[in-house]
Amino acid sequence: MQLQIKTRSGKVVATVHLDAVSTVRELKKAVHESNKRLHPSRQRLTLPLPAGSTAQTKPTVLEDGKTLGDYGLKDGSLLNVKDLGLQIGYSTVFFWEYFGPLVVYPLFYALPHLLYPGVTPPAQRPLVQTLALAYWSFHYSKRIFETFLVHKFGHDTMPIMNLVRNCAYYWGFAAYVSYFNNHPLYTAPPVQQSVVALGLAMLCQLSNLKCHLILSNLRKPGEKGYKIPKGFLFNYITCANYTCEVLGWALFTVAVQAVPAGIFALVGTVQMAQWAIQKHKRLKKVFDGQEGRLKYPRRWIMMPPFF
Amino acid sequence: CSGRTSTDRMAWSVGKVHLLVYNTVQAIGWGLCLHACVPAGWLRGDHHGVFAQAGSLIKVFQLASALEVVHAAVGLVPSSPVMALMQWAGRSNVLFLVLGAAQPVQSSPMAAVMLVVWSMSEVIRYPWYALSLTGHCPAALTWLRYTAFIPLYPLGVVAEMTVMYQSLQHLEAKKLYSVHLPNTFNFAFSYSIFIKVLLVVYLPMWFSLYSSLLRARKKKLGGKEKAA
Repeated sequence: MQLQIKTRSGKVVATVHLDAVSTVRELKKAVHESNKRLHPSRQRLTLPLPAGSTAQTKPTVLEDGKTLGDYGLKDGSLLNVKDLGLQIGYSTVFFWEYFGPLVVYPLFYALPHLLYPGVTPPAQRPLVQTLALAYWSFHYSKRIFETFLVHKFGHDTMPIMNLVRNCAYYWGFAAYVSYFNNHPLYTAPPVQQSVVALGLAMLCQLSNLKCHLILSNLRKPGEKGYKIPKGFLFNYITCANYTCEVLGWALFTVAVQAVPAGIFALVGTVQMAQWAIQKHKRLKKVFDGQEGRLKYPRRWIMMPPFF
Repeated sequence: CSGRTSTDRMAWSVGKVHLLVYNTVQAIGWGLCLHACVPAGWLRGDHHGVFAQAGSLIKVFQLASALEVVHAAVGLVPSSPVMALMQWAGRSNVLFLVLGAAQPVQSSPMAAVMLVVWSMSEVIRYPWYALSLTGHCPAALTWLRYTAFIPLYPLGVVAEMTVMYQSLQHLEAKKLYSVHLPNTFNFAFSYSIFIKVLLVVYLPMWFSLYSSLLRARKKKLGGKEKAA
């Protein structure tokens, strides 16, 4: 069959010849061959809206794994394409956004004469500064490890601007937190406070890892669609992984007793809270208990006893 | 102005009445500010005194405009409360904190330009809001509302940035609004560094706002011509 691919403005950007058993993935490849700019990951293909659709009707997006026949496409069918812009792989973005903090934070620890010019460091470096460095480095190493060996991403790519934005956030905050934690004029809290807080924070990190492992094993290979997370803290909290993360950073802040670390923890918490609400809503919507589907159990969203 | 002619199709809720009153008061207010800036100040050749003439009046109405953040937050208007807050905070920062502290800059030409540009923009914007609410908004005002920003916006941004830049030395000398190390919570804040960061962030931020206003203009004015 011959298919014509056009943009929303009506311009035909590609004409391809495939058969009904070809997959959408193969279709995207064919489009790319015909139009070099449209790399497969940049294409969002949709069926034209049927007659009588309103401005609110969401068009059907073609999924990579399905075939052309699944969508009832025939010879002469028209498809719409949206250019999603230059894309970059999820793992690539995650790696770079986590690698930055691993490099940036230690700089302030290691190079005080360069980064705090004119300020004399104390004779004895407070213990908490070293412990905090170790904790921070462990945290981001763990994240990189999870990126390549644990997480199963729902999407392959994201727009390239996300790389810039995410790195700005992580690297920027790494510098901000580290600058004050490792400042020559840093005032350390009582050592017991730091040690206990970091010990508990470590427990949170390990719990967070366990949560990620549970999430990553939720779907068997080939399974699609949402599953209800269960086991460990997920029995009580939808986004237990965020719970551990938020508590971890709160304890880190207590350990170093510094406002910049607190601001970092707060901003992260707000973002994770927004994601948690969305996830919880989505799961409740899918698992509504009708038509044989399971009903999503009553659970905290992210932070008992608050919400 | 959606071109609705029949007033009985409109429901005058409390919220809508409040918005009408608010926008009318602001329209009058900024008219007074403009009068204080231009005839009283500039036409007398006294552009160094614009802040002195109009400053207090502008402070009142700028402070009152904080209400717009509330309007957005409760959904009375379709704008984003975060955007509204950022815009209000940006202007208030320059007016109250920066200019307030840097006395010599108050009588600078750029400060005068900034206050005049603000007044001119508001004297168009608020009447447009008020009249749109009643459904009887002249097309000419809509055109003005979506066109005047083209010169006024860049002029305003340049004036604001210059005022901030010129004030830096005074802020640093006075060590204003700043916290220094060492302290128990390891917090430090330097207002002059904050202003410097703001200056860097201002250009791309306002550039993207300018482009979105241009796009909105195309939709609002361009579409009307097609429909007619």
